[in-house]
Amino acid sequence: MRIDRTRDLGPYVEKEGDDRIICRCEEVTQGEIRKAVHDGMFTLTEVRRYLRCGMGLCQGQTCGKLVRGIIARELGEKPSELEPATSRSPMRPTEMHVWANEETNEEGA
Amino acid sequence: MKRYDLIIIGAGPSGLSAAIEAAKRKMNVVVFDENARPGGQLFKQIHKFFGSKEHKAKIRGFVIGEQLLKEATDLGVDVELDSTVMGIYPNREIVVRQGDHVNHFKGDSIIVATGAAENMVTFDGWTLPGVIGAGAAQTMMNLHGIKPGNKILMLGSGNVGLVVSYQLLQAGCEVVALVDAAPRVGGYGVHASKVARTGVPFYLSHTIVKADGTDHVTGVTIAEVDSKFQFIPGTEKHFDVDTICLAVGLSPMSQLLKMAGCEMDNSGPAEVPVIDESGATSVPGIYAVGDVAGIEEASSAMIEGRMAGIKVAEYLGFEEAEKGDKEFDKNVAALDGLRQGMFAPRNRGKKIEKTEEGIDISENLLLHGFVADDEIERFPGVTHRAGVHPVMECTQNIPCNPCEDACPKHVIEVGSNITNLPHIVEGNECIDCGMCVASCSGQAIFLINEDTGDGKAEVTMPYEFLPLPTEGQTGKALSREGKPVCDATVVRVRSSKAYDHTNLVTISVPKDMVMKARFFKAV
Amino acid sequence: MKSADVIISGAGIIGCAAAYYIAKKGKSVIVFDANDNIGNGGSSRNGGGVRQSGRDPRELPIAMYGVQNVWPYLNEELSDDVEYHKEGNLRLGKNERHRKILEGLTEKAQKCGLDVKMIDGDEVRRINPYLSDEVTCASWCPTDGHANPMRTTLAFYRAARKLGVKFYSGEKVIELKKEAGRLDKVVTDYGTYTCEKCIVASGYESREILHTVGVDVPMTKMLIEALVTEAEPKMFPQMLGTADADFYGHQTNHGSFVFGGGTGLEPDNLDYGHLSTQSISAPAICRGILKYFPILKDAKIVRTWTGFEDHCADNVPVISNVDEVPGLIAACGFTGHGFGIGPVVGILLSELACDEKTTLDLSALRYNRFKASI
Repeated sequence: MRIDRTRDLGPYVEKEGDDRIICRCEEVTQGEIRKAVHDGMFTLTEVRRYLRCGMGLCQGQTCGKLVRGIIARELGEKPSELEPATSRSPMRPTEMHVWANEETNEEGA
Repeated sequence: MKRYDLIIIGAGPSGLSAAIEAAKRKMNVVVFDENARPGGQLFKQIHKFFGSKEHKAKIRGFVIGEQLLKEATDLGVDVELDSTVMGIYPNREIVVRQGDHVNHFKGDSIIVATGAAENMVTFDGWTLPGVIGAGAAQTMMNLHGIKPGNKILMLGSGNVGLVVSYQLLQAGCEVVALVDAAPRVGGYGVHASKVARTGVPFYLSHTIVKADGTDHVTGVTIAEVDSKFQFIPGTEKHFDVDTICLAVGLSPMSQLLKMAGCEMDNSGPAEVPVIDESGATSVPGIYAVGDVAGIEEASSAMIEGRMAGIKVAEYLGFEEAEKGDKEFDKNVAALDGLRQGMFAPRNRGKKIEKTEEGIDISENLLLHGFVADDEIERFPGVTHRAGVHPVMECTQNIPCNPCEDACPKHVIEVGSNITNLPHIVEGNECIDCGMCVASCSGQAIFLINEDTGDGKAEVTMPYEFLPLPTEGQTGKALSREGKPVCDATVVRVRSSKAYDHTNLVTISVPKDMVMKARFFKAV
Repeated sequence: MKSADVIISGAGIIGCAAAYYIAKKGKSVIVFDANDNIGNGGSSRNGGGVRQSGRDPRELPIAMYGVQNVWPYLNEELSDDVEYHKEGNLRLGKNERHRKILEGLTEKAQKCGLDVKMIDGDEVRRINPYLSDEVTCASWCPTDGHANPMRTTLAFYRAARKLGVKFYSGEKVIELKKEAGRLDKVVTDYGTYTCEKCIVASGYESREILHTVGVDVPMTKMLIEALVTEAEPKMFPQMLGTADADFYGHQTNHGSFVFGGGTGLEPDNLDYGHLSTQSISAPAICRGILKYFPILKDAKIVRTWTGFEDHCADNVPVISNVDEVPGLIAACGFTGHGFGIGPVVGILLSELACDEKTTLDLSALRYNRFKASI
């Protein structure tokens, strides 16, 4: 989908609830998310990469939808118009020694 | 690498049902689940299910879970617990964490049945300990035997919010209020009514302003919202609570499907895989069933699972297409049966004014969680006659008919249209056996004797709380709203295996209170 | 009238940095990226190294210039925090073969004037006490370091956007067109634009774009993987690599470790079209890490990712005007080590785009340097 980034959303103006934490794992507030959108972070992926929200232990399971909603509101779009974040393994945080310890059950391996 | 004909991810209602159908067709099936216990959400469901016999109606959720698990393992399905699927990789390979190592497995087909996760809403203080998901509260109570709190406010009047509120009451918690920003109750009216009659106030068009507390929740403030969900100043109400439960919807846990490269649809509130009727995704051999494919009830998840199980067997040549399709079509019909009535998926978001019978629906039920005294008489289940007879306070068209099957004297009829409101069959005599009361999953049937002499009447109600009242005990009769209306004396308490843990408590009340008294509170 | 003085294909660190420095010189710039997201290629899929050591002498001067003149001032320049750390790079070895590789690299770098030396295992552990006893030697470059690649790329984007650069993502450059012997038009899947200069900085996809005006840069693409842990207590600030290049990474400001590595099968990894990781990669990376850092065995991995390296035939990039297409500038083939030199490359590209003499000599990175070996 083509995204025109010349769009000027105007300056970021603080509003009620901006000091509220949205991403609990990485402690990112609503205000930080809104500000990032005004700075040109127009996609969920960019906001995540810029602020780390949704990149913590729960991988956005809790806040993903909330962040998407905040970005969409700021852009004046519907949340469904924003591409959700990608999904990658591991589905659950996994200790390094566990993931290193493979049993492939491969005969002759 | 170990290979299977079918790998199923998630041992909930849909995953186990799919496993059963595939294993019946001689497929080599494994089911992985990250939890220590199988059954997914089913094992948390201690209430009786709606539907008809084929949907396992009036059976409690955890019992359905046990039945499914037994059927699957009897058929040779390998159910591996404490097994977290970390990812789906190309060529239908999965990596599973089991204990302190990871295993690689490949399947000729994969069914993803990973269910859903709870949504959250934010308000000041939402990150305080004590703000929990309703599902989490249910897990604590029903799986681990832990009371989530003592004084609780529930946000969300959908079926999850209603059912969990009731279970919190059963666990001995005080539910101070049931709150929803929506203007009308979202879940089944009968679920709302059984909460309301215990005295829990409903606050529709209200939501949480803030949670109080420094290191844990000590209180909550709610306020009324206008049609644009903006707070109306001056309408704030404060409650002292230690726990706030959020039941604000579920989102499919579809990450594995996305990782597998399945085409996704994110036009709705949550991201779901694009699937056909059998659950097949855009990636050949990968299927999605149950909540991960779109949020519905466990009853529909079980049927979806069966449908996918049959189709996977056909896809891999373990079942002849013609034979399989016949079975498949039966399940399609059963699923259609469940997707009828006022709460059918196609009616989501619509305001329904009249029942299928053309009766004005109860507005009070939608606004306050209980049917008002001046509304109840217009429903077909509510009649007046001599002697003991059932009064069925069933006012919404939902696909459910255990009451009809339960009555040995065929006094109650729903009819071939499963969403019909139940009515009395004239000429057949009620024998006060109580089976209808115990079998109604909505706890909406009462046995009434309008005149027992001495100006008294008797009301028999379903009762699923402890301690159980004793005969001769006195207390107050509560109205449908949960307000004390008169003195009441317990005259009979019945428990029986056939009632399946629903006890029948009969109270004696003044005659003029017989259509008002619907709950008993010992004093 | 031209659509813009300069059109850039590719909104990665190279494209964003070039856009920023060109706009700063007062030129109008349009940037297109085929992906929806800014910096979605290698720019957000790398280990964050800001290294000089271990580099080919042809690109080493760029890296050294960056460490001396650009990276330390980048936060101020961009009014952002790119999380730059100049606290050294250890390139680790475990055996004689490794020592030989490291000595060779060190000697070459010293000749170019870089402060880098060989140290023994004990000294390695004085610098980073968490490394296992298996490590017997390392090259140590105290002025190397690391930064946050996603933050850096987005900071350049943000600053360029503030200067009026027009960014369009999800708009793919599909063809370049000459007019009267000069580059004139850039055709995207949404329209046709005209410009004085065009910079192609689209990673591996640059090859296809350059082909439309008859230019080929020999490169392949290679799918490599990395992983990130949950936040851990602060342990060490250095950038790490190995003689075998089987493991690299650092601890971020946030506390998480970003580590790359591989199975050895990377050149043959198949592209499944949705950036799918391989099932055997993450375990291999974990095993690689644990050989060096057994102490991290309980650190939880929260995420893995994969990305394409645009691997140039001789392992260094093309940063060059294209003679037969005046107005066209190629900047591609960064071969997995483009991030650390990205900001300086942006400056150099701004000079090329403005017909200025470049700060550094780029003749070794010409587009037409590829010759038969016999």
